[in-house]
Amino acid sequence: MTTLLEVENLTKHYPVKKGVVLARQVGTVRAVDGVSFRIERGETLAIVGESGCGKSTTARLVLRLIEPTGGTVRFDGQEISGAALRTLRRRVQVVFQDPYASLNPRLRVGDTIAEPMEVHGIGTRESRAARVKELLGLVGLAPFHAQRYPHEFSGGQRQRIGIARALAVQPELIICDEPVSALDVSIQAQVVNLLKDLQRRFGLSYLFIAHDLAVVHHMADRVAVMYLGQIVETAPKRAIFDRPMHPYTRALLSAIPHPDPRRRGMVKPLGGDVPSPMNPPSGCRFHTRCPFVQDRCKAEMPMLRELAPGQQVACHFAEVLPPHEAVAENGMSPVAAQRLALYAAAKARKAAKAA
Amino acid sequence: MSTTVTEIVAPARPGTLKILLREPAAAVSLTLVVLVILAALLAPWLAPYDPFDTDLMAVMQPPDGKYLLGTDGQGRDMLSRMLFGLRVTLAMGALSLGIGGVIGVAMGFAAAYYRRIDGLLMRLADIMLSFPAILFGLAIAAIFGPGVTAVVIALAVATVPLMARIARSTALVVLGQDYIEAARAQGMGDARLIWRHLMPNCASPILVFATLRFGQVILLGSALSFLGLGAQPPIAELGAMAAQGRTFLFFAPHISVIPAVGIFVVVLAFNVLGDALRDALDPRLRI
Repeated sequence: MTTLLEVENLTKHYPVKKGVVLARQVGTVRAVDGVSFRIERGETLAIVGESGCGKSTTARLVLRLIEPTGGTVRFDGQEISGAALRTLRRRVQVVFQDPYASLNPRLRVGDTIAEPMEVHGIGTRESRAARVKELLGLVGLAPFHAQRYPHEFSGGQRQRIGIARALAVQPELIICDEPVSALDVSIQAQVVNLLKDLQRRFGLSYLFIAHDLAVVHHMADRVAVMYLGQIVETAPKRAIFDRPMHPYTRALLSAIPHPDPRRRGMVKPLGGDVPSPMNPPSGCRFHTRCPFVQDRCKAEMPMLRELAPGQQVACHFAEVLPPHEAVAENGMSPVAAQRLALYAAAKARKAAKAA
Repeated sequence: MSTTVTEIVAPARPGTLKILLREPAAAVSLTLVVLVILAALLAPWLAPYDPFDTDLMAVMQPPDGKYLLGTDGQGRDMLSRMLFGLRVTLAMGALSLGIGGVIGVAMGFAAAYYRRIDGLLMRLADIMLSFPAILFGLAIAAIFGPGVTAVVIALAVATVPLMARIARSTALVVLGQDYIEAARAQGMGDARLIWRHLMPNCASPILVFATLRFGQVILLGSALSFLGLGAQPPIAELGAMAAQGRTFLFFAPHISVIPAVGIFVVVLAFNVLGDALRDALDPRLRI
């Protein structure tokens, strides 16, 4: 596999200003603070974390919708700037969380889907119209839907339209910013399976932003866990769910509601709130909430270290922590398990139909 | 084919006009507005007499069979003068609203879109807002001399900051939407983004405000003409006509009252229509 996207030390700091006329800077919000990751061709990297941890900011930085304070983004070996940005705009597309806000209500669906092609000067009016019909078919809608307006569609259908728009210019990487979080569970399964299908057919790579571990479990090849603007652990999906090494990853996994009442009280949920990214804690940012905190954690910031093949962890004591009880498959909440079953059932139906 | 269409398609919403006509007051005001505009446009064909022809044998006649709305101090037919006056009044309002609206909306969009000049443009709007429109009229009439042009310029200048504020706040809301981010992520240029995505989605609030403002502008224009800063004799204009009749208010009240009622009806119709339009364009009413 070749590397498609390489992000190094990506940083976004927002100055906090006070005063009306002579504003002076009183602080800095470190929304994203030195994030590095890479995505191979055809791979799905999921970024998970609590709200406010900087996942969506990371997505927007990769898309260059906001200018990074520091760090580099290399797409297909080329650093993104000036002329390369134009290519990036075609080869990287985005699917947003809110299917109601991500489509222009005044444009017909056909025009919305054709627009990226127009912007990049691809094809003639006729060939674009034909491509719109083809794209609508790809995402499971009908050609006549091109004449309709977004308000005539349900949330799931709108998300399909958003996906069709992203596919229009044949991108290689699609950034999915919580693409199913706003949808009903049954619709989530359809959209997630659609994304997987498209990936298989076109060899797409995904940067998948999510907070829902059931969806991540289904979609991702690798997972990066973010906390307060930094990646604390990154590993292949199996490793994250079976052998999480960072205390925060473990806490996230144990926070999945458990169906076994005998386990009640055995899992201690994380106390406290996420500290403000304006004054992040010294040393390890997780030390204020970590159950295994030591003196060293408060003084020294841990670096990401490779502790298993493909698994990098930013914790001083990752090796010596007590082993984590596997909570993977059977540890899923009944709801999550049900959803995974739904996904599997939908897939089986499709396979049956194809045969 | 990956999946089939299983979700239910929402029914089409009723059109804006249909929602508008649900309200009786709105229907009446819309009818009135259409009639007033038609009357102004068709004045040369509707008017029974030339609005400047004087009949010195029938001066200050109250309404009767020959002169349906009576005659004024120079024996000119009031009905004909009302129809032609309506033309001048509406044209004055439309011109000033058009000029002020275009400049104001451009200013508001620029402030919202290019945040670096936001502060500068909005402080400029604040300064313009701090002068009353009548004062503008006085100043501009002093510079250019009284006349319709002075009124149009004054009202346009008074409309710019109001439009700029409405356009800016609407544009800020729209610019925060995901479809704008999506457009940017596609690499769309500013011009296309503003024309295709920003403007259409800002149209409703601006249209509502323009309708309401049209009523105000007509009232202000008539006031300026009443003060003698606007349309000069012998041009027929509703405000000027009301002013000319005020010396005879006690023995021939119709000369002032008829144009005044005309102004009142036109302004009221536009205000009611503006309110109704605001309700009709409210997306929450579209079920």
